[in-house]
Amino acid sequence: MSWALSRRTMLAGSIPACIASRGARAQAAAWPSQPIRLVVPFAPGGTTDLVARLVAAGLQERLGVSVIVENRAGAGATLGSELVARAAPDGYTLVMSNIASHAISPAVYRNRVRYNAVSDFAHIALVVSNPTVWVANPRAGIRTLQDAAAKARGPGGLDVATSGAGSSNHLMVVRMGQLLGVELNHIPFRGAGPAMQAVIAGQVPMMSDSLPSSVAHIRQGSVVAVAIASAQRHPAFPEVPTFREQGFDLASDSWFGLSAPAGTPAPIVARLNRETRAFVALPEVRARFAELGGTPGDLTPEGYADFVQREVALWAPLVQAAGATAD
Amino acid sequence: MDLFANLAHGFSVALTLNNLLFCFIGCIIGTAIGVLPGIGPVATISLLLPITFGQPATTAIIMLAGIYYGAQYGGSTTAILLNLPGEVSSVVTTLEGYKMARRGRAGAALTVAALGSFFAGSVATILVAASGPLLTQVALSFGPADYFSLMLLGLVISAVLAQGSVVKSIGMVVFGVSLGMVGTDVQTGQQRFTFGIPELSDGVGFVSIAMGMFGIAEIILNLERPEARSVMSGKVGSLMMTREEFRRAVPAVLRGTTVGSLLGILPGGGAALSSFGSYMMERKVSRGRHEFGNGAIEGVAGPEAANNAASQTSFIPLLTLGIPANAVMALMVGALIIQGIQPGPRMVEAQPDLFWGLIASMWIGNLMLLVINLPMIGMWVKLLAVPYRYMYPSIMVFCAIGVYSLQNNVFDVYQTVVFGIFGYLCSKLRLEAAPMLIGFVLGPMMEEHLRRAMLLSRGDPMVFVERPISAVMLGIAAVALIAMLMPNVRKGKDAALAEGG
Repeated sequence: MSWALSRRTMLAGSIPACIASRGARAQAAAWPSQPIRLVVPFAPGGTTDLVARLVAAGLQERLGVSVIVENRAGAGATLGSELVARAAPDGYTLVMSNIASHAISPAVYRNRVRYNAVSDFAHIALVVSNPTVWVANPRAGIRTLQDAAAKARGPGGLDVATSGAGSSNHLMVVRMGQLLGVELNHIPFRGAGPAMQAVIAGQVPMMSDSLPSSVAHIRQGSVVAVAIASAQRHPAFPEVPTFREQGFDLASDSWFGLSAPAGTPAPIVARLNRETRAFVALPEVRARFAELGGTPGDLTPEGYADFVQREVALWAPLVQAAGATAD
Repeated sequence: MDLFANLAHGFSVALTLNNLLFCFIGCIIGTAIGVLPGIGPVATISLLLPITFGQPATTAIIMLAGIYYGAQYGGSTTAILLNLPGEVSSVVTTLEGYKMARRGRAGAALTVAALGSFFAGSVATILVAASGPLLTQVALSFGPADYFSLMLLGLVISAVLAQGSVVKSIGMVVFGVSLGMVGTDVQTGQQRFTFGIPELSDGVGFVSIAMGMFGIAEIILNLERPEARSVMSGKVGSLMMTREEFRRAVPAVLRGTTVGSLLGILPGGGAALSSFGSYMMERKVSRGRHEFGNGAIEGVAGPEAANNAASQTSFIPLLTLGIPANAVMALMVGALIIQGIQPGPRMVEAQPDLFWGLIASMWIGNLMLLVINLPMIGMWVKLLAVPYRYMYPSIMVFCAIGVYSLQNNVFDVYQTVVFGIFGYLCSKLRLEAAPMLIGFVLGPMMEEHLRRAMLLSRGDPMVFVERPISAVMLGIAAVALIAMLMPNVRKGKDAALAEGG
């Protein structure tokens, strides 16, 4: 597969694979003995895909077998997730679970999603989470959320761009509107790139975005970071105040993790959790995530499962409020 | 001159042995996947991404870029030889290119595609190097209203200039637009016309439609008429262009390069519009316009040049703003981020090796493509001599594999079958597939921009005439429509088309 693989890794990967193929079924004790499939429920090129490829490269090295990224996009990340929910729980099929596939989309596609985001998965580990950030065009005259609120209450209202309807960024716009008591004019785009371009060009004054897609533009000064939706100020951007500091009780992270089908043997889940946490804690990986504004996850499997459950409970009512259900 | 110093630096980066090697590998892989129907650059790049982890960032991006424009190039080969467009841009190439192949001029069509692409690629590369940041401003000055009007103009012109019955071609455009509406609504997230099929929630697949309507339908049609098959395999024809063909192709390439360079800067619709735009232009202004529909060389030369120019200039938003214009670019951003480089506005200053090396390697890559492909034309054309009982089943198998590999989903294969049958029926009813595909590609973008413009203007439609760019586009569209509706002009058009066949 990969030229980046060292010869040792390749040998380690291929020999057990030969042995295992003779046996009827890979034993949990001998796991991993064949390539692992990591399903990304989004198209190649997005943040989920990116995180998955980083993790796949890391796990491949640590587990000694190939970890193959497979993109199965569609229906708000539910197609790929459903595929994994139904796959054999043998530790060879994993999904890059995320805020869309495992918290928001189940509420958006509530009549069509045929998996339970909590009970149909053995949740393994939180990989990384990024806060939402609100940025503005420097010429729009919006430096604080108070400025934004004043514009929203003013005659024309306030336009806010997002990467798409039903995204966590969109739901942030809805929550902010509820807190302000005035509806914000939501302008959805197809992905963060085009939305950011419209903000830089001044067609839309403001945007609710995940930090990774904004980082370069904030550093360059082509947009101004107005508020960050994390509990504390972000270490990479200490000068950007949080929503709470500015009087709005909002915090929202987009997150990415690893999950397997429910029933995956506990030792496999534990091993994957250990390797993933060790990988994301490596200084160079931490640095890579930090450049993008992400915080590496450090949760046990149980911790991550609880986390997913809380997120599901948090987002469902907001999806209703946004009228973003698809049925 | 700064520019020359920078370019010299770029060439010194691109001409290292390692970078040349990877540029070459990228071009070869790109050409190969372009030739294989259905396997697109997105699937290939995502598969090959791990290879690049072990390489320096500049090398990685040079290889990925090679795959990208190699695929653009290879796609035209199957479009010309087998009527199989793998991408939006090569749909246009099938129109005249496949007709040329049927007349025994496949070699000339492939040659002009190669030379035209190389010329356009060279010009566009210089353009990117010289005025990338400046052109970014052009892209930024296009607002939603302007995009809407541009797309509307594209649709109107494609309906007005289509072959045969205007009513039928408008009907096909409208049907294409409706097909484009299938899937999740961008503004509200509502499902439209999906009939509860989850696979349809992201819309009908372009590759399925293009392959079904063109490639598969053509195979069914050929099975129907054994005499046509033997004619084609018997007549391979001379490989080189005649002097006359060359003279006709030159102005078409120049016009195509201009159209493509300009439209390529606009993210999203730009690259798709460029080859359609150039085709429509050639059909109206070129000396060989009466031959359109029968294999006019201008209809291959112009769009191929436009397409290649656009695929070079579409790097401008990525390199200057850090905003990817399409899925392939998004993957390249991913590759850079994995390498620890944050693409963005500061990339030119922060990573001069990467920026100028990539630009230099674009030109080297185009040269390589020419060198790889010109000698191969003879081999490709011989492919036509393969007996159809071997060729058709293999095309079908490759199509099925290619379509499946897009999403790893059998549903896409079924879609292709349905559109193959539908395409056959359309041919029987003399309904053209090209206007439908234009509608399918432009319709959803047009809707998106229309609704975004209306959201931003608080529902005031005046925004479309108040913005100068938009107003000009709408003006041209109106003139084209009126010209079509005026009876004497109509008569002239019909006569011209009847003459052209």
